Amino acid sequence: MIEIRNLCKSYNRKTVLDNVNISVRRGSIMGLLGPNGAGKTTLISILTGVIGKDSGNITVGGIDLDREAGRIQSMCSYVPQTLAFYARLSACENLEYFGSLWGLKGKKLKERMEFCIDAGSMQAFVDKRVDTFSGGMKRRLNLAIGLLNEPEILYLDEPTVGVDAQSRNYILETIRKINRERKTTIIYTSHYMDEIEQVSDEIAVIDEGRIILHDEKQAILTRADAVLIRVGQMGEDAVNELQPCEGVRIEKERIHIKRDEHLSENMAAVFAVFHDRGVRVDDVVFGHKTLEELFLKLTNDRLRD
Amino acid sequence: MTKMLYTLKKEFLLITRDIHAVTVLFVMPAVFIMIMSLAMRDLFDLHHAVSIDVLAVNRDTGKRSEAFFKAMKEIPAFTFHFLDRDADAEKAKEQMLTRDVKFALIIEENFSTFVVKEKGEKGEKGEKEGKPLELLVDPSVNVQTQMVLRSALDGKLAQLRGDAFIDSIGGFLDSAGIDKEKLKAAEESQVAVHYIYKGGRSFKIPSAVQQSVPAWLVFSMFFIVIPLSNTFISERGQGTLMRLKSMNVSRFALITGKMVPYLFINAIQVIMMIAIGVLVVPFFGGTALTLGDSLGGLVLISASVSFCAISLALLIASVAGTTEQATTIGGVLNIIFGALGGIMVPKFVMPGFMQALAIASPMSWGLEGFLDIFLRSGSASDVLPESLSLFILGGVMLTLTMILLRRQKEV
Repeated sequence: MIEIRNLCKSYNRKTVLDNVNISVRRGSIMGLLGPNGAGKTTLISILTGVIGKDSGNITVGGIDLDREAGRIQSMCSYVPQTLAFYARLSACENLEYFGSLWGLKGKKLKERMEFCIDAGSMQAFVDKRVDTFSGGMKRRLNLAIGLLNEPEILYLDEPTVGVDAQSRNYILETIRKINRERKTTIIYTSHYMDEIEQVSDEIAVIDEGRIILHDEKQAILTRADAVLIRVGQMGEDAVNELQPCEGVRIEKERIHIKRDEHLSENMAAVFAVFHDRGVRVDDVVFGHKTLEELFLKLTNDRLRD
Repeated sequence: MTKMLYTLKKEFLLITRDIHAVTVLFVMPAVFIMIMSLAMRDLFDLHHAVSIDVLAVNRDTGKRSEAFFKAMKEIPAFTFHFLDRDADAEKAKEQMLTRDVKFALIIEENFSTFVVKEKGEKGEKGEKEGKPLELLVDPSVNVQTQMVLRSALDGKLAQLRGDAFIDSIGGFLDSAGIDKEKLKAAEESQVAVHYIYKGGRSFKIPSAVQQSVPAWLVFSMFFIVIPLSNTFISERGQGTLMRLKSMNVSRFALITGKMVPYLFINAIQVIMMIAIGVLVVPFFGGTALTLGDSLGGLVLISASVSFCAISLALLIASVAGTTEQATTIGGVLNIIFGALGGIMVPKFVMPGFMQALAIASPMSWGLEGFLDIFLRSGSASDVLPESLSLFILGGVMLTLTMILLRRQKEV
């Protein structure tokens, strides 16, 4: 659906996107991860036609962005991280205004508004002024406005920032539903790794303007380099015995054993200690890693300001 | 067209639901027009001339001072309140302060003697006597008002002296068959006053409301810079402009989408302020605003003031980073333009160099245009120079705005 080749962008001689190459499947949800300043927003801004690129080639649904940006924009919708609507208007008035800018009018506008009100579960407060809404209601409206034009591609920039667990869950459910029922391709950025893990079909990690990882979610999460053993409470004596073992890393109730030529020796040694010290084994996962661990490893865990 | 209608609806709702914007754009100028039209009514309207209180002490025992007061009472601008004959300057001063009266007139004991004696003639004791009238003045009184009272006193005194002279040569006049009383009769003013109008009408008398409505209308139209720039900056800060750009809304459409609704809002201001001048001010005892002859001229000057104010607002919005900055810049600029442009202080009372400086304020151009229509019965061609100046300045500011927005790449 989206093909990006050799995309570069600089601001004031600082490279923000450095030879980005990535493809997004039609109808998939791609989670885009990256530390602050990695280039996520710039990438989305270029894809939505808000800013131009320096070089490279982008096609969306086979259409060249350079040639028919307007046509591509009419296929897409962008839901910014900020609450991009008018607080002194009601939800209904906001939907009506943004719908009219998409060229909707009359019955069609009404139909689309009803769909979006339903999608955002806003029936009870659709005529109330937005400045009286809770954070969750505002986020749902922000998303609903993005659905007015029945987009083929939906760009969501941290759509659940600052909402309670219920609204967050509702938004994620809605995103999945839209993707499932309408085959909408969704590019989703978030700092919440569990969200990305929950909704994405594919995951891309961007750092310092480069795509450093892009694959199917399952492939990423299982392509690991360690065996994880989750245990019950482990005494100090057991920890002291395991610590000198090369290739074994202890994190509270989680033991990571490196998958290398010493794997079987290390496994035998670890289980011997568990047996001797009476440590209960809860789970053994071959090749599992949480997304957060992977993300921090890929992007180095230094602070980004 | 549908897009523009919904944009208009959106902007109207945003304005009408913003209590600060409504206050600045509609309530403030309406109140100013009411206050200034009523407060300055007597400065312009001869039919409602104000009477200034003057304390008076007559220490003269002669008949001439009685005649003097009789003559003074004929002047409607002053009302004399008599104190005891033996009151001195100290007593008069004390009464001025107690009763908050701005003037006290003391007619000295030598008044009647002075009226009949010849010019340069010495007193009975051979030395030069003091002046027959003493005027005590509160320092807060402006020079113009002092001059009016002094001129009136001098005029009446001169008339009394003339009458005394006629009496002294009464025998000669009788023998020559000349009627003494006819000679003494008070002269009517020999100065004919005509107001000059650009159009054909000549019956309109300038009134406070004719001055106030144009002034505060222009001021309020320029105050659109605050809500407009604030809305624009909020849209930018909240990412709404970015969202609109991602929806393929062009920069031109965004700017037009701001200009057209605010042109309508300015038009509503014009209609509302005129309606207040015509209908509300007379209800409170002021003179009704009379409109000029040229609707085309009124539309032209209104549109040009509006275009200039909106362009200024957009320029401020593109320069300021926050709504606080925009409010400060817009507010300060408006006050300076208003003070300089003759809104707060009429230009005709300014000294020459300040009047020359007033040309730097676009409010002054707008005000002159409206005065051409309302006061001088001007036509569209009469307001063309002011309108063109406003359109050109607006065009320059709009071009600068587009350049800045393109550089910022936010819109």
